[in-house]
Amino acid sequence: MSKNDLGKHISQQFDTELEDVRNRVLTMGGLVEQQLTDAIKALMERDKGLSETVIQNDYKVNEMEVSIDEECTQIIARRQPAASDLRLVMAVIKTITDLERIGDEAERFARMTMQHSNEQAASRHFGSIETMGELVRQMLHGALDAFARMDVDAASKTWLDDKKIDVQYESITRELITYMMEDPRSIPWALDVLWAARALERIGDRSANICEYVIYFVKGKDVRHTTSEQMQREGSQEQ
Amino acid sequence: MSKITTAQWFKGGSPWIWLSAAAVSVSLIMVFGLLLLIALRGLGFFWPADVLEVKYQQSPTEIITLIGEVQSTETVSAARVHDAGGVVPEGAETVTRLLLKVGNRDISGLDFRWINQHDIIEESRPQDMIVLERREWGNFYGYLKSVKVDGKIVANGDEAWPVFLERLDKTIELFDQIKSIHTGEIGSINYDIEELRLAKRRLELDGVTDTVPYSEVEEQRAKLNKEYQLLQKDLDVLYRNIEKDSVMLVAAGGREIELRLSKVVRGFKPNAMGIPTKSLHYLEKLWEFVSDEPREANTEGGIFPAIFGTVMLVIIMSILVTPLGVIAAVYLREYAKQGPTTRLIRIAVNNLAGVPSIVYGVFGLGFFVYFLGGNIDQLFYAEALPAPTYGTPGILWSALTLALLTLPVVIVATEEGLARIPRSIREGSMALGATKAETLWRIVLPMASPALMTGMILAVARAAGEVAPLMLVGVVKLAPSLPLDLNSPFIHLDRKFMHLGFHIYDVGFQSPNVEAARPLVYATALLLVVVIVALNLTAIWVRNHLREKYKALE
Amino acid sequence: MTETTLTHAIDMSAIGGVGTAKQLADETIRIKTRGLNLYYGEKQALDDISIVIPQNRVTAFIGPSGCGKSTLLRCFNRMNDLVDGVRIDGDVLLDDEEIYQKSVNIANLRQRVGMVFQKPNPFPKSIYENVAYGLRLQGIKNRRVLDEAVETALKGAALWDEVKDRLHENALGMSGGQQQRLVIARAIAIEPEVLLLDEPASALDPISTLKIEELINELKNSYTIVIVTHNMQQAARVSDYTAFMYMGKMIEFSDTRTLFTNPAKKQTEDYITGRYG
Repeated sequence: MSKNDLGKHISQQFDTELEDVRNRVLTMGGLVEQQLTDAIKALMERDKGLSETVIQNDYKVNEMEVSIDEECTQIIARRQPAASDLRLVMAVIKTITDLERIGDEAERFARMTMQHSNEQAASRHFGSIETMGELVRQMLHGALDAFARMDVDAASKTWLDDKKIDVQYESITRELITYMMEDPRSIPWALDVLWAARALERIGDRSANICEYVIYFVKGKDVRHTTSEQMQREGSQEQ
Repeated sequence: MSKITTAQWFKGGSPWIWLSAAAVSVSLIMVFGLLLLIALRGLGFFWPADVLEVKYQQSPTEIITLIGEVQSTETVSAARVHDAGGVVPEGAETVTRLLLKVGNRDISGLDFRWINQHDIIEESRPQDMIVLERREWGNFYGYLKSVKVDGKIVANGDEAWPVFLERLDKTIELFDQIKSIHTGEIGSINYDIEELRLAKRRLELDGVTDTVPYSEVEEQRAKLNKEYQLLQKDLDVLYRNIEKDSVMLVAAGGREIELRLSKVVRGFKPNAMGIPTKSLHYLEKLWEFVSDEPREANTEGGIFPAIFGTVMLVIIMSILVTPLGVIAAVYLREYAKQGPTTRLIRIAVNNLAGVPSIVYGVFGLGFFVYFLGGNIDQLFYAEALPAPTYGTPGILWSALTLALLTLPVVIVATEEGLARIPRSIREGSMALGATKAETLWRIVLPMASPALMTGMILAVARAAGEVAPLMLVGVVKLAPSLPLDLNSPFIHLDRKFMHLGFHIYDVGFQSPNVEAARPLVYATALLLVVVIVALNLTAIWVRNHLREKYKALE
Repeated sequence: MTETTLTHAIDMSAIGGVGTAKQLADETIRIKTRGLNLYYGEKQALDDISIVIPQNRVTAFIGPSGCGKSTLLRCFNRMNDLVDGVRIDGDVLLDDEEIYQKSVNIANLRQRVGMVFQKPNPFPKSIYENVAYGLRLQGIKNRRVLDEAVETALKGAALWDEVKDRLHENALGMSGGQQQRLVIARAIAIEPEVLLLDEPASALDPISTLKIEELINELKNSYTIVIVTHNMQQAARVSDYTAFMYMGKMIEFSDTRTLFTNPAKKQTEDYITGRYG
């Protein structure tokens, strides 16, 4: 199965439908990526307006999820896709769920920014969040890129990036715990920051999921819940 | 409404509809016209027409009395009558002539007479005019004078008629008895005696020297002879009784004749009969026609032997042709490898259908009768030689000849039927472990049976109407006995038989009394058509029944 | 997975993947072909077919028209013998017995390997006589035995309740779906070991089709079933193993789960996703 060989069905209509659904996933991915970027930017710059925009735009992500979902249901009902087509549709359905969740996380991120935009203490720690945010954004971008190109190699590489995010998350957690032990008054804002880090970590996980779906679609192999060694093998096998 | 041009009308196809409808109409009119003509001419024959008594100016000086039924009338030009030596009234352009059936062949020598309408002086329909159907000399027309028993007059004048009818019934009863002894008991004794003669001859041919078997034969023969003597005695008594009664009759012109009642079949007074009585008489005659044996060189009486012969011939033919045709078709369609050979065989079979039937007759005579029959006689019936048993035309050879004649039809129809059985049905049977033969026998042939019946219908239709070949291989003008009787082995395939088709030819062209026979030709023709239709309807009924059962093909 | 454990999966180049091979290793194999070639005159219809048919499983043959799937099916009960000019080489083994030997009694073979055809082809007889036909061929005349066998077969074909009151009516009066089930009943009445179904539902409406599929699912407990179908969804629904054939060749033979989600061969993928041609 060559990577981008969605076409060449006898039914060109089917080709169009599959192409359409894939394009809309990419559009949705772009939107979600934008949301995430904006949310992080708003936090860094304490831009309440930008946060507001992020919160308001979330409905677009939700709408897209619903409509793509509907389209996939139609394809299954009317085309009874098999093999790679079936895997594509399944991958799309799962991907949009994850994308929607990522959108939700971005929204939550934005709300937190709104709450704490005036607190100096919290803002001191936004630095580490920013690094992590950049990592997560890159990972999401990588996942979407792999999805767009149906590139197993890129997908498995991106998937491995999740480890770095986890490490980052752990270090932020430890740092915040230290603050909370030293000064109980810091607990409220520290918890909020922890939540933000937690959200970013979740986004990383979901991006990793998307990578898994890409691999599932291309290779027909379910790589969920595997170890990094196996994943590395998957990536290197793909030529 | 726009006007339709001729070109459009042609293009629209309506001319073809009209044309085909016209063709169908013409065909129908021809078929029904034919049937109607035959029916009218044939069925009218049995109607007891009124008998006229006319005073007729035979010549300017001579007036005679004539009695008879008007058979037909025709108008001819006066010149023709004049040329023929007749007398024509002055100035007449045409002359109307009547054909009078005067009967009384024994007196006048002529049954029929043409008379000129204008020469009739007086005509009447006397109530006491009688018609007697006789066993010989045709009908008698005239008056009953008296009835005699043993030469003494027992009834006279008006009383004579009832007495005559009563005596006639008794006489006919006696006649039937005599006839039944002749054909029944004596017939079978004769048959047995003939068998004994053959048995003795067989012993001689086998070179048996032992006297025991011979004496056994002689013993049996003596026994049969004794039985014969007894019957002969009975017969003598009956004959004496039957000859006792006679009637005195007065024919036209006042001539008196005496007639033995034993010679009379039926007597009636047509002029005194009303429509109901006539109808009854009509039905009686009709029944006699289909159930009785012919008299007087086939011109009188019934044609039962011919009906029987026709039906039996067709049945034997069907029994012979069906297995032969079906087996041939099955081989050609199911077993033979399709190729030039089978194609050649098919062409040959189809061409066989086009050979004139008389050729089959010649072949049947040469091959079946002389070669096959002759050899069978040599092998199995040597004792009867030089009198042939099967080496002479007979119903078996006729049936075989017709079977050969109709074989192509059966083969082609059966092949068509076999070809129409879907492959999937055969495969279904085979897939259940049936061999090809089992499949054929249990599935294919039953399903093809409607087609097979169609073949048989066509065969029957053709065979029942064939006459030409039969004249060579077995049909006769008058068969002494039916091919089916009570003497073992009951079916006598070696016997000659009568046939409706041949009967028509014989009565129409070979009869000594052509005028008398003409209505019979029509009646027989009608009967032939009825028999063929009945045979066909039976076959069609069977086919439709089968078709209903095996309607899988649609 | 080593070669030794795959003893009966003889050099089956078409086997889809390790999973299938592993699965097959646990099956009892009923029919096996080795290097089977079939020619109609000059034309080669089957090209080097090696396949195994596992017992009590449904094996489906799919592929485009004229790919030889029906021909292959008909090799298993020697139905191809009926066609003129057929030549076969290679082995077809039923229970390790070569069925193309001269000594094999074809009628016997066909009793062991039953077949149901694309179009329902009941005989123009009563329902009862249709089912009893195969038994009568075997010379069974005892009325009680026949009655019992007919009832069992009709029940087995899920038809008994529908026809028990009209067993002696003409089978041609039944609906298409009923006729097809009757034909299945007729085939199972003689208790074959293997049941070959040649597009058994292609002439039927969807509901009848589902009934037949349900029936196939039940029948596989007692019989080894091979089904040829044009309908890929049907193959996906009813079969345990699926073989994809193309131009007389066995392209892929896999367990159905794998074949319809992740086929090993591009040709298979193209065919089942509708990219063929």
